[in-house]
Amino acid sequence: METIDNSIAVLVRNINPITKLLIVFCLGIGCLIYPLPFVGYGILCLLVILGILIGQGKQVLKLIAGFGIPVTLMLLFIQGLYSPKNITMIADFGFAQMGLEGTMYALKISSTLLIFLAAFYLMLQTTKNSETVAALTQSGLNTKIGYLILASLNVVPQMQRKVKVIQEAQESRGVEISGSFIQRAKAFLPLIGPVVLSSLTDAQERGMTLEIRGFGINGDKPTSYIKVETTSLDIVLRIIAICFLISSLIPRLL
Amino acid sequence: MKIEIKNLKHKYPSGGEALRGINTAFEGSDPIAIIGQNGAGKTTFAKHLNGLLRPTEGQILIDGESIHEHTTAYWSKYIGYVFQNPDNQLFLETVRKEFEFGPKQLGVPRHEINDRIDFVSELVGLKHRLSTHPFDLNATEKKFCTIGSILMMDPKVIILDEPTCGQDVEGNQRLTEIITYLKNNDRLCITITHDMKFVVRNFDQIVVMAKGQILMSGSKNLVFSDTKTLLESYVTPPPITRVGQALGLKDISFSKEEFIDHFTRRLHQR
Repeated sequence: METIDNSIAVLVRNINPITKLLIVFCLGIGCLIYPLPFVGYGILCLLVILGILIGQGKQVLKLIAGFGIPVTLMLLFIQGLYSPKNITMIADFGFAQMGLEGTMYALKISSTLLIFLAAFYLMLQTTKNSETVAALTQSGLNTKIGYLILASLNVVPQMQRKVKVIQEAQESRGVEISGSFIQRAKAFLPLIGPVVLSSLTDAQERGMTLEIRGFGINGDKPTSYIKVETTSLDIVLRIIAICFLISSLIPRLL
Repeated sequence: MKIEIKNLKHKYPSGGEALRGINTAFEGSDPIAIIGQNGAGKTTFAKHLNGLLRPTEGQILIDGESIHEHTTAYWSKYIGYVFQNPDNQLFLETVRKEFEFGPKQLGVPRHEINDRIDFVSELVGLKHRLSTHPFDLNATEKKFCTIGSILMMDPKVIILDEPTCGQDVEGNQRLTEIITYLKNNDRLCITITHDMKFVVRNFDQIVVMAKGQILMSGSKNLVFSDTKTLLESYVTPPPITRVGQALGLKDISFSKEEFIDHFTRRLHQR
C-alpha cells in the first residue's frame, strides 16, 4: 500500500472496508444490470478521476489500458461480429458484418469487468488487508475464516518478497537475472520449487505459533487490535451505493 | 583487490536514510570486522560492496572500476557475500548442488569444481553431509553450507554477515580456521558481527558504524581504547577488556593471558 497523504486519499483510506466492498459490488452489479453500457463507462471515468485524486491515476490507467483495451477488442471482435443476437448491422468488413446488439453486449461486459477491476484495485490500494478482515469479523464473520482470508491475501506479497530475496542470493552467486527474457526465465524457473516449498513450511510454522498463542480456543469472542469504525459518511455512501443498484434495476422493470 | 567507497549514501524507497556518507577503503588481506548496533547500516553497507544495493549517491570503485558498470552476477566473481539468514541463500536440493552452483555459473571446469568441493567441504565441516538436503541441516551446518557455497566461488573478497549467529564453541573455532585460511591465501575477509569476543580473537582491523556512518576505524587496540566513541555506538568491549579498563590497567587486554600478564606487571610496579 502506497502512502500518499492528500486529504482525499486520507478520507478514502478511512472509509470502512465493508462500505468499500459494498460500493465495489453495487457498482459492478449495477452496471451489469443496466441495459446500456454507457453508464458503465461514465462510472469508469469517475473511478479514474478518483484514482487521480488519490495519487493512483497512473496505475489505474495502466491497468485499464493493459487489461481493458485488449479484452474489449477481443470481446468486440467475437460478440460484435459473430453474436447470434446480431440483427441490426452497423458495419461491413467484408469477411463479417458487425452487429449493433453484439457490440453493445461486448461493451457492457467489458465496462463491467473494468469497473470491478478498477474499483477493486482502488480498494486494495487504500485498505489494509488486516482492516478488511477485522471489519468482516466485526460484522460477524468467523475469526478462523477471517484468518483464512487474510492468510491467502498475504500469500502473494510474501512470495514476492521471498522471490526477491532468493534472486538476490542467486545474483550474488553469479546468476544474471537481468537481460533477455530467456535469461530471466532461466533464472526464475529454478526459484519456483523452493519458494512454494518454503511458503508451505512458513504456513505450518505460522499455524503453530498461532496455536501456542491460543488461536484455537473455542467459546471466547476474541478482541482485535484493529479498530474499524463506521462513520456517518459510511452510512451515506452505503445508502448511495444501494440506491445506485436499485436505480439500475428500474429500466429493466419498466 | 582494492575497494574504495566515496561519500556513499543510501536511501530506501520508503524514505529512510540508511547510509549517510561513508568514506573508506579496503585493501590487502587483513581480516576486517564491521561492528555497531542493530540498524547502524552494516548490512546495507555490505550489500553495496557487490552491487546488490546501488548507491543513492556517491561511488564505489573496485580496483578503480565503478560498481555501476557491471551487474551483481559479474561482481560475484570477485566479491562473495554470505547472507545473514541461511534460509535466504539456500535453494537447491543437496549440499553438493549448493556448492556446485556458484562455480558452475562462473564456468569453472568440472574437475576443478570437484577438487574445490573436496577442499571446501573439509574446511567447513560438511564432508559427510554432501548429499543432505540443506533444509535438514541444523542451524550451524546451514550457516557453514552458505559459507562453503561462497568459498567454492573463490572470490578475492568475502563478506560474512553475522557468521557467529547461533554458533557453538566448535563452530566459532571453525570460523577462526576459515578466516585464517582466507588471510593466508591473500583473500580479504570482511565480517559483520555483534560478538565482541569473536572480534578480538580474529580481527585486528575494526570499523565501527552507527546511524549510517563510520564512527571510527583502526586497529583493535585503538578502537577498544576509545571508550567514549564506543559508548556512542552502543558497543561494549569483551568482558575481560572491561575488567582491565575498570582496574585502570595501562595496556588493553583481549584475553585472559594478556590480562594476567598486564595485571601482574602492575602489581610488580607498585
